[in-house]
Amino acid sequence: MKTQDENPILHFVINVAETLSVLWWKFFDWAAVVSWFSLGLTSFVAMIFAGFVGIGPFMMMMILAAILIKAAAGGKRKAELVASAAITRAEVESLERRLLEAEMAALQAQIEPHFLFNTLALIGQLIATDTDRATAVHADLIKYLRAALPQIRQQGIGQLGQQIALSRAYLSIMQARMQDRLQYKIEVDDGLTDAQFPSMMIQTLVENAIKHGLEPKILGGSIFITAKRHNDQLWLEVVDSGMGLNLHADQGVGLTNIRERLKMLYGAKACLIIETPFDGGACFRIQIPYLNR
Amino acid sequence: MDENKIVSAMLVDDEAPMRDYLRASLLKVWPELHICGEASNGIAAVEQIDALSPDIIFLDIRMPGKNGIEAAMQLSHRTQIVFVTAYNEYAIEAFERGAVDYLLKPVEYERLQQTVERLKLRLQEKKAQLTASLSMGHAYAQAKQIEQAQQMKQMLEQLMQQQSSQREYLRWIQASVGNALRMISTKEILFFRSDEKYTLVQTEQAEYLIRKSLKELEDELDPHEFWRIHRSTLVRVSAIAEVTRDFRGRQMMGLKGRDEKLEVSRNHAHLFQQM
Repeated sequence: MKTQDENPILHFVINVAETLSVLWWKFFDWAAVVSWFSLGLTSFVAMIFAGFVGIGPFMMMMILAAILIKAAAGGKRKAELVASAAITRAEVESLERRLLEAEMAALQAQIEPHFLFNTLALIGQLIATDTDRATAVHADLIKYLRAALPQIRQQGIGQLGQQIALSRAYLSIMQARMQDRLQYKIEVDDGLTDAQFPSMMIQTLVENAIKHGLEPKILGGSIFITAKRHNDQLWLEVVDSGMGLNLHADQGVGLTNIRERLKMLYGAKACLIIETPFDGGACFRIQIPYLNR
Repeated sequence: MDENKIVSAMLVDDEAPMRDYLRASLLKVWPELHICGEASNGIAAVEQIDALSPDIIFLDIRMPGKNGIEAAMQLSHRTQIVFVTAYNEYAIEAFERGAVDYLLKPVEYERLQQTVERLKLRLQEKKAQLTASLSMGHAYAQAKQIEQAQQMKQMLEQLMQQQSSQREYLRWIQASVGNALRMISTKEILFFRSDEKYTLVQTEQAEYLIRKSLKELEDELDPHEFWRIHRSTLVRVSAIAEVTRDFRGRQMMGLKGRDEKLEVSRNHAHLFQQM
């Protein structure tokens, strides 16, 4: 019988203690972050109320406690709350940025339907005349599609080696089509193949170089891709000996997209620089922080 | 022209495998056709036409030097033209309206067969017209021929205009950096400010000095892209964040993502008058 009587009382006491503790911490939080002016005002009103009800000494203690808390923990507590709000905001922003980046990455260098059609026609033609080359172009097309199809390609940040392999396959196909109107060379410094590199950016530059640089030129020309390390940066260059930039043509979706993505991924630490070499053509350089996987 | 004269054709495309492909397809569909020559660009095609005088010319549209439309302007009165074009090029609709022969790349067997039938018919018509003009229906036949040629010319002129219709504004600014020539897209530029001898070009990440004056820039840039807001300032419209008044009543312009303010002079204040 006794134990049964004891339990409800114990429960009640524990409940009250818990409630008081929760109230106390709420009070603590409030006291820590409230402004001095509102603290003063609230104390004044509370004292008048306490005077009427007759709990003056208790209220005095509470006010004193509040002032002590405010003085001792106010700055720190406020900073903590602001910081945690900032972290939440930053997390939301970074999530939004990553989403947007993924969307833009998917839009970058979409496969052109007539590139596919023309390459298939080429393979069809080569099957009749030169089966070895048909096999080679066929293999390059598979390599290209595997890396470029939005459904299966790596999104966001990929690896330099893999991005270079994609463009090598593309250039190899274009060379089979343009023949002696296209020469290309690719040089990647040792140890850079595992470095991080955003997806499809090199491909956009290479497609631009062919479309606006070499295709409009009767004799065609060359494309030279290099990847080098400059201290803590990775520099990737696509240089062509083509027509050079048309000063009156808009920079186009591809380049705008690269700029926006670089900003989202690396902020001010990355950029796309475009130059006209003195012997003509165009040079596109992406500079990003060097990060190894 | 007698009944058994061999019909000749010329193939023009900048990619050799595409010419091979077309040649192989044509040989299957029209074995009697004599392919008398090939060219890899519009200029070469025009140069060779006298020597080869083909009955038909298959012309790619996107080519270096002189594109297919430009070449057709010079060739259309001497030969039947068949345009060969990649699937997403704009011209298809125009060809359909102008009843011109065209093929989509890569060329499909059935489609090629249709075109070949039509070509045979046209060449026969032409021959009939020729014999007619030699005998009696002279004037009528000639008039018809002239009408057809005129239609073709009209369509080509329209296409040429489409290609170069907009006035071209300056979209890239060139600036020397070290010993390289840097190309700055106007989309990157926040504003230009004249600075005695030079003009300062401000982008989000850097600034450059160029020799082109603000006046020259104002003439060459797209007036919808850049506004003059001060004797010495030209600002990109899409970079403007706000215009406020300072304590002296001057209008001051804030730019997106920048602390610095630009002054809007009284002469240009009307740009930002409240509605």
